[in-house]
Amino acid sequence: MFSKYIVKLAFGLHNSNRYNNTKKFFYDILENQNYSYKKIVDLFLIILILSSIVELIYSIKNSVPMWMHIFDYYIVTIIFGTEYILRLWIHSDIHKIIIREYETSQFLKSKFNFYTTLLKVLSEKWDYIRSPAAIIDLIAIIPIYREFRILRIFKLLRYTKSIGQFIDVLKTKRFELMTLFLLLIFLIGTAGVAMYAVEGNINKNINSLFDAVYWALITTSTVGYGDIAPVTTMGRVISMITIINGLVLMAFATSVIVSAFLDKLGEIKDNRIIETINKEDKFVIICGYGQMVKMLLRQNNFDNKYVILEKDPEITRQIAKDGFNVITDDASRHDVLAQFNIQYADISVLCLGNNDVENIYIILNAKSLSRDIKVIARASDQSMKKKFILAGADHIIIPNQTANIMLLTSINQPVVYNVLHSLLAGKNAAYLDEIKVLAYDKLAGKSIEELEFKTKKLLLIGIQRQSSSDFIFNPPSSTILEPNDILLIMGLKISVEHFVNTFQRGLK
Amino acid sequence: MKNKKHAWIFGYNKQSKSIAASLLAEHFTITIIENNEKNFQNAMLDGYENSMLLDVTEDLELEKLDIKQDDWILCLMNDEHLNAYLILSLRAYCACNKIIAISHSIYSTQKLKIAGANEVIDIYQVSANRIHNIFEKPIATKLMDNFISDAHQISFKEFTIPKNSFLHGTVINEVDFNKFGLIFIGMSDKELGDEFVFAATNINHKLDIGDIIICIGKDEDLAKFEEYLHKDIV
Repeated sequence: MFSKYIVKLAFGLHNSNRYNNTKKFFYDILENQNYSYKKIVDLFLIILILSSIVELIYSIKNSVPMWMHIFDYYIVTIIFGTEYILRLWIHSDIHKIIIREYETSQFLKSKFNFYTTLLKVLSEKWDYIRSPAAIIDLIAIIPIYREFRILRIFKLLRYTKSIGQFIDVLKTKRFELMTLFLLLIFLIGTAGVAMYAVEGNINKNINSLFDAVYWALITTSTVGYGDIAPVTTMGRVISMITIINGLVLMAFATSVIVSAFLDKLGEIKDNRIIETINKEDKFVIICGYGQMVKMLLRQNNFDNKYVILEKDPEITRQIAKDGFNVITDDASRHDVLAQFNIQYADISVLCLGNNDVENIYIILNAKSLSRDIKVIARASDQSMKKKFILAGADHIIIPNQTANIMLLTSINQPVVYNVLHSLLAGKNAAYLDEIKVLAYDKLAGKSIEELEFKTKKLLLIGIQRQSSSDFIFNPPSSTILEPNDILLIMGLKISVEHFVNTFQRGLK
Repeated sequence: MKNKKHAWIFGYNKQSKSIAASLLAEHFTITIIENNEKNFQNAMLDGYENSMLLDVTEDLELEKLDIKQDDWILCLMNDEHLNAYLILSLRAYCACNKIIAISHSIYSTQKLKIAGANEVIDIYQVSANRIHNIFEKPIATKLMDNFISDAHQISFKEFTIPKNSFLHGTVINEVDFNKFGLIFIGMSDKELGDEFVFAATNINHKLDIGDIIICIGKDEDLAKFEEYLHKDIV
């Protein structure tokens, strides 16, 4: 009966939009790096941690007001406690585990075992509880022993990326560092025991094995407080050996850490670029660096909201030297494109490499992640166009074909060629622009006749009507403009700007 | 009826193959010049029987070619260095001919122009422009694609004003292009030294024989207008 109720509750939660949205909200503010409000929550928690530490330091030599004590003892603890519970909640979905177990039992026609399911639920939550981050969180909550509160400073690791990255780098050399650490323990222990054996009864500063081990650690680290010093020749020999060992170990440890950073430096830089671009609402991912990309970025650098993906590190170095945002990665890999903010950002992918097979694979990769990603791809010739369309490319660029058409136009219609060339290059002499009619601007509801394009030294080529998705070429003068219409007009840049200022000043 | 024009295409590769085919469709006669035996054979196999195999670095060989003043010269050699050298050599004794070249890099475009090409189509610049316009002006790009694709319905077209045309002697503002379903974009006036003037600047020139006007419109309207333009009013 109880099991039945639990299963019913699990299905209820599974189907509840309110529950799922609430959980999603807390997940976003606590864990989703791309969620804008997460930064505010992080900042708030950082301020709480710092205020708690400041209060602790101040209270050592001063008496603190009661409100400050209450704030630190209760408010901060309650907030951290709530945060801990929320993190534990969002770590896994209990109802999903229950439903999975229930469906398995239904499929196997066996009895749903509540206790096995409960064990699985607890096991998943235990995974979170025993994680280092959760242990630090838990220690930070416990206010019983006042000095423990200094450990709250470790909570900052959660919110400071640089420290997190430093730890990640050290993790990659875990084996080497652990070996060095064990060697250090062995050397300190040996030196301590040796010193205790040699001077335990002679040196008045060494009263126990602990004193000798303490001396060994201070000597190995080359700090040398001088509170305990060898008094016999044998003791000095042990000191000399310990110091040399300490220096060698220190050098080893430094080289291990430096090499770990050098290995990871590229990756850290790449991650920074991805994090920065993921903060944008709209950005461009360029795959395949070459002449075309160079020219494109020279003409339009997308307000620096772009990133080039290049799998060859040598070429990456060259691109970085050219001053462009680049990361070393293979755009045809699913996980590479998946690390971008696909869910929230408006992403365009440019596949401009000269290999059709690779370009098609990148299109498929992008479209498999989201159909909303706009893909502009380069194809080698017309025969490939169909495959690119099938793969899902939104625009296909065939450089040879475009150049051939321009060349033929320049022979057959040289004057038209000049016009097209000016328009394509966006030259001032022939500026072709698009003006969107906004719902409440002065353009909506006006007829073309009223707008007097000719007097304003403009040519209205056509209107893209959003309501019917038709392009009305050379519309009659009685046509009334509707909100969301896009006017395609030609004229000098100054005329276009004047028109926009007249009708849409402060609105566009 | 279109005049029979002649084009000399230097270099026979994938690109020139497509250009040659399009020029043939436009009633051009074509001579392919190649310095590579294999490419020369390919041109012959494709039906360009008056193709020639010669060393394009030899000025004496080039001088023997019967290039007329109105002929078009297309320099489409694969090797950019050779292409630049060829343009320079051809310009030395074909001072009046239109030389068109295709460039494959940012840096060679300027070099080919200095060498003497009248038009250099930078293959990557053209494509980069297009990508830029897809982002900045999607509707305009769609329309421009329409102009430059084979399956267009709306096109740019230039018309040279013929003798006895209804436009001869009229002032541009008096002509109602809308009546033909066309938009007048601009004109190239002989009196102004063939300088192109956009309609948007409110020009009001008198149209004379030989002036070129550019209009944009649906293909059938452009065809009707061309027919009307060539009707004798006298």
